[in-house]
Amino acid sequence: MRSVYVIGIGITSFTRLEYPLSEIAAYPAMMAMKDAGRKEIDHLYVANMGSGRVNHQTGLASAVVDTLSLTPAGAEAIENGPASGASAIKTGYMAVASGVHDVVMVTGAERMREVNNLEATEFVATLTHPLAEYIYGVTLPSLAAMFTRLYMEKYGVTERHLAMVAVKNQNNALKNEFAHLQQEISIEGILDSPEAMTNNPYVAEPLRFFDCCPVSDGGACVILASEEVARKVERPLVRLAGVGQATDTHAVHEREEPTDLLAVRRAAAKSFEMAGLAPSDVDVAELHDAFTILEIVESEEVGFFPKGEGHLALERGETAIGGTLPINPSGGLKGRGHPVGATGIAQAHEIVHQLRGDAGERQVKDAKVGFTCNFGGFGNNVVCLTFVRGN
Amino acid sequence: MAREIYAYKCRKCGHTHYPYRMVCKSCGENEHNEFDQVPLPKRGKLLTWTRAYSLPADFEVPSLGLAIVELENGIRMTGQLRVDDPRMGMDVRGEVEIVRREGYDERYGMVFYEA
Ligand SMILES: [Zn+2]
Repeated sequence: MRSVYVIGIGITSFTRLEYPLSEIAAYPAMMAMKDAGRKEIDHLYVANMGSGRVNHQTGLASAVVDTLSLTPAGAEAIENGPASGASAIKTGYMAVASGVHDVVMVTGAERMREVNNLEATEFVATLTHPLAEYIYGVTLPSLAAMFTRLYMEKYGVTERHLAMVAVKNQNNALKNEFAHLQQEISIEGILDSPEAMTNNPYVAEPLRFFDCCPVSDGGACVILASEEVARKVERPLVRLAGVGQATDTHAVHEREEPTDLLAVRRAAAKSFEMAGLAPSDVDVAELHDAFTILEIVESEEVGFFPKGEGHLALERGETAIGGTLPINPSGGLKGRGHPVGATGIAQAHEIVHQLRGDAGERQVKDAKVGFTCNFGGFGNNVVCLTFVRGN
Repeated sequence: MAREIYAYKCRKCGHTHYPYRMVCKSCGENEHNEFDQVPLPKRGKLLTWTRAYSLPADFEVPSLGLAIVELENGIRMTGQLRVDDPRMGMDVRGEVEIVRREGYDERYGMVFYEA
């Protein structure tokens, strides 16, 4: 297999966007082509989850390839729930590594704020098992809540730990001009003050409003290329060194150990194995914190910290920018926002900035190895990517 | 007659699945429909629960109790929970009732009460 490099990146603001979905996908793609200094693209993958249901548009890839005037290049959409973004990157990786294509554009987009928050929650809830979960009114926040309660009981994670993740990531987002939430928060304001119960009500006990990522519109793009092409691009080399994916039971109640996220553990292990690296080699990570609990649990399952000790590393400040292993310097899903199809690509976008050394105020010092975890369903389909600076 | 929710017992190895899957997870048996339907027990222990406030539009209630219950035979299932003061590990009993209305469509599922 050939080595695969990221030669260009682009992103939109993650917020409410008033332009059409195809343009949300195309705008970051134009930025990425400028970033790479290159307009020749062999193939396009578009990551998206909801175009048919939310935006009443199907065949999104055909619309995007045309609006970018990249026809007759091949194009298709990749749908893998909230892990669509990293799945599309994985597919692009295989296309370049195999030698089928030399330059592949992977762009992701979602326009979820076309509908109200309840409809958006309902749309995402269609990920759950139709007969064993969905009919009961189960949503992603309620699955995360039931998981959180088990984690609290078994490992001593508290609402304060969850709030610490929210404060860290939402305040990291203040250093990211593209992030959705641009509001400083404190433990006092969301947990301790007399107003906290009003500011921060329960969404699904024990998870509160500030434990959940916002519903966002947004797009992000990376361009992948062979080494021969990458060497001609005037950007620091960033190699996509490992891709790993794993699945788990559709219904969450079927998992043998209900506090495990085995697909995260297995996807990360495969990604590290392909890269020839270990979790201890990672300098910066973007983990899928759709709910605050997930950052803590994923930080354990991918191998950064022992099982049940992620919240202790958080307490020690290890996961802050400036800590020994910064997690979600971009703000994560919690602060940057979560336009589902774009999220996995936005994670990669941040890691490329970090490894190039141009992440500005949120730069992790001398970052050489970066890692992303993109979490689909409630952990039933997970894709992990490992990136390395230089060769 | 009391309504039931069914689990699926593999005719080859006896492994019981809930919900249905087409190939046995335990032995890989893949002769389609080689499963016997067995009613899920109605009693079990509350494994975990939540009270959810942000609900899909079909639910015209301010909040909804949801739970994962470990049934007497060790199989787990997700259902609705109508208990005032839920405690992890408490004994619960299930009734099959209407759990969702989608227009004129009525969907039946398990609702758990304090045993
Ligand atoms: Zn079997």
